[in-house]
Amino acid sequence: MTAESVLKEKVSLGDRVNPIVVKELRQAVQSRFVIAALLTLLLVQLVAIGIYILASGPSLFGFDAGRQSFLMLFGILQVVAIIFVPLYTGARLAAERSDINVDLLFITTIKPRSVIAGKMFAAITLTALIYSACMPFMAFTYFLRGIDLPSIFMSLGIGFVVVVACAQGAVFVALIPVNRAFKIIFALISLAVFGLIYFWTMFGVSVVVSRGLGRDFWQALTTMYVVICFMVGLFFVMSVALIMPAASNRALPVRLFITSAWLLTGVAAVIGGSIEKDHWPVMVWLLMFEIVFALAIFAAVSERDQPGRRVLRSVPRSLLGRARAFFFFSGAAGGLAWASVMVVLTLGAVDACVDLFPTHRNANDLINSEKWMGGMCLYFFCYATTGALLRRHLFSRVGTELTWLIGAILLAVGSLAPFLIGYIMFFNDQWWSDDLGAWWVGNPFAWSNKAHRVLYASVGGVWAMLVAVMNLPWFIDRCEGFKAQRVAASDAIESVPRAVASGSPSATD
Amino acid sequence: MKVQIVNLKKHFGATRAVDDVSFSFSSGQVVGFVGPNGAGKTTTMRILATLDEPTAGDALIDGVSVVEEPERARHLVGYVPDSLPTHRDMSVHEYLDFFARAYSLKGLHRAKVIESVEEFTGLTGLRDKMLVALSKGMKQRVSLARALLHDPAVLVMDEPAAGLDPRARIELRELLRVLSSQGKAILISSHILTELAEICHAAVIIERGSVLMAGAIGDLLENGASRRTVLIRVRDGMERLHRELLETPRIEKVNVVGEEIAAEINGDEEDCCDLLTGLVGRGYRVVEFKLQRANLEEIFMNVTKGAVQ
Repeated sequence: MTAESVLKEKVSLGDRVNPIVVKELRQAVQSRFVIAALLTLLLVQLVAIGIYILASGPSLFGFDAGRQSFLMLFGILQVVAIIFVPLYTGARLAAERSDINVDLLFITTIKPRSVIAGKMFAAITLTALIYSACMPFMAFTYFLRGIDLPSIFMSLGIGFVVVVACAQGAVFVALIPVNRAFKIIFALISLAVFGLIYFWTMFGVSVVVSRGLGRDFWQALTTMYVVICFMVGLFFVMSVALIMPAASNRALPVRLFITSAWLLTGVAAVIGGSIEKDHWPVMVWLLMFEIVFALAIFAAVSERDQPGRRVLRSVPRSLLGRARAFFFFSGAAGGLAWASVMVVLTLGAVDACVDLFPTHRNANDLINSEKWMGGMCLYFFCYATTGALLRRHLFSRVGTELTWLIGAILLAVGSLAPFLIGYIMFFNDQWWSDDLGAWWVGNPFAWSNKAHRVLYASVGGVWAMLVAVMNLPWFIDRCEGFKAQRVAASDAIESVPRAVASGSPSATD
Repeated sequence: MKVQIVNLKKHFGATRAVDDVSFSFSSGQVVGFVGPNGAGKTTTMRILATLDEPTAGDALIDGVSVVEEPERARHLVGYVPDSLPTHRDMSVHEYLDFFARAYSLKGLHRAKVIESVEEFTGLTGLRDKMLVALSKGMKQRVSLARALLHDPAVLVMDEPAAGLDPRARIELRELLRVLSSQGKAILISSHILTELAEICHAAVIIERGSVLMAGAIGDLLENGASRRTVLIRVRDGMERLHRELLETPRIEKVNVVGEEIAAEINGDEEDCCDLLTGLVGRGYRVVEFKLQRANLEEIFMNVTKGAVQ
């Protein structure tokens, strides 16, 4: 191998690395903040294990010392990683893409997918750096008895995946196009969610180290990984969509991803349920996707009302192709149709599953969850489409992108107002009994109350019909307008602006 | 290659930052974009650089819409913002290398491009310095170097001369001359109007989001000023001339400047011709009769009201 070929190979390898990764890692290794955070973590781990050893006395030689010290060190590592990595990644990205300043990186020719992938790879590398730095302390706990190496590595693996998932969530939150005040609110909500995830992780890891890796563990782990992979993938495609140009077909990759994941995990859940003779995998699938589709209804009504020229240029000419594109291409009407159809298909699939496998365990729970989720989606549809209706007719100065906010305000009011009115008017000793659960009508999350589902469904059904009929002219108009256009931007310009200087550039010389 | 800004509008709530702005320019032209603070210059430039989206209208670069196909437009535009690079923990070379990678420049070609851009902007000796340690003028050079990495056909420069010392300003002017001679279309905003007049082929004057005046610098200077100043020197009778000029219609102001008389005429070139004919007819032996051209600063002051939104 000649020196020239070695150099060429080195250069081509360097070119394949995502530029964002190169930049982020260069900055991270030169950053005093990152170095100080890492050294502090190591110092805290060292001090913690030191104090534990000194304070344990004779119990250090018992059968529980390794497990206890591992959980203590893992708790410290995880709390730092779950806060530091997402916060570092998210805050930097939010600063680069705030409402008043957009980093010049975003006007280079780099693809949005590469930007998000680069940010994520840098976050993963940073997480790996933190975990590997703490690895000697974790391995040391093996020598104190009570824990085995597979449990240690499995726990670290779980923690690592959770931190990466939180980092992807932080990337998404950082990119939500809202002002600084809303961003801070979203960041605080995210931190609260990360706190909850931290406690779930600690609970899961304590189960791993105390009970070992049994059949239940692998079932739970598989479910957890499927959910995390889906969430990471979903946040990834949504983050990419958020930094794609507004005129592009932003919704297409998101809807394709969700639909593919829905299909794949649905098939896997049915197969898993058949093997286990249990409906719980289908139940997890139902809960996961109905929540996603309920939120998708809110997202859909906040999309561009009319697809732009660029989207319409890629609409197929055939009727079938056009119909398919309507569901998957950017646009509020198409998004609403897609989310609603997916809700119905999911409920239909669950019904079919119960009919096909009536003897599987947890059938009643599945039917109950189906009703609950179906009701929740029905109310979400009502609130979102009522919000869209109000925005078009009463708040036409509010941008389409804020329709979700009107819907969310309606949801908050509709969920609480009947209950508060009832409370003020009819409060008595029996107030908290199930009989008075009827006052929760309008609350999408109250469908777990089986006694009043007929009332909830009646109100929701009539409301949905009314609001659907009122939205129908708008919907038909958008369907009719969804046609292929072949006009280039330059052709669409009617008046050519006057040149500020005619002739050669030397006109003023 | 043509840049067309077509009925561009950008509203922030009730504020119309850019209100129906249209103009165009071509390769090799340097166009000055002039206006008071808050006139809509930066907003227009950010839209052209694909950083912002307009409320309505479009900007086309070689027929490519910055609204519909910003990805394609980004290959064609280099943007120098009014804010300077503030990336921490990065050297000049690392900064340029990152952006070169982001513009998909690969391997040895990337290294050569960075080297030539560093040389062109005079950054070769500073390549290993940290960005935060640079002076304002040097940061401005880094910003220009970054904008040139992908060899764009159009350069959009927002206040590149702000805060620069005289030497740095002269050097920037020279760089712009070279870039213009290379065929780049350059849109540049600045408050230093005398300098703009020297380097620009054309100018667009904007206020409250609307274009007040646009055209070649020569045309603007020719037509932009409502009053013309004529310097007159005669062989004898300066005092008499001074008195007579004060009584002449359309002459609004007369000043004696050394051996010359400066007369401000409210009229066009035709009125200047009439004045000279009249002087000769009345027997004055005219040694010098010079029409003093208005400068961009005067035109700017004439057409703008200094109003902000």
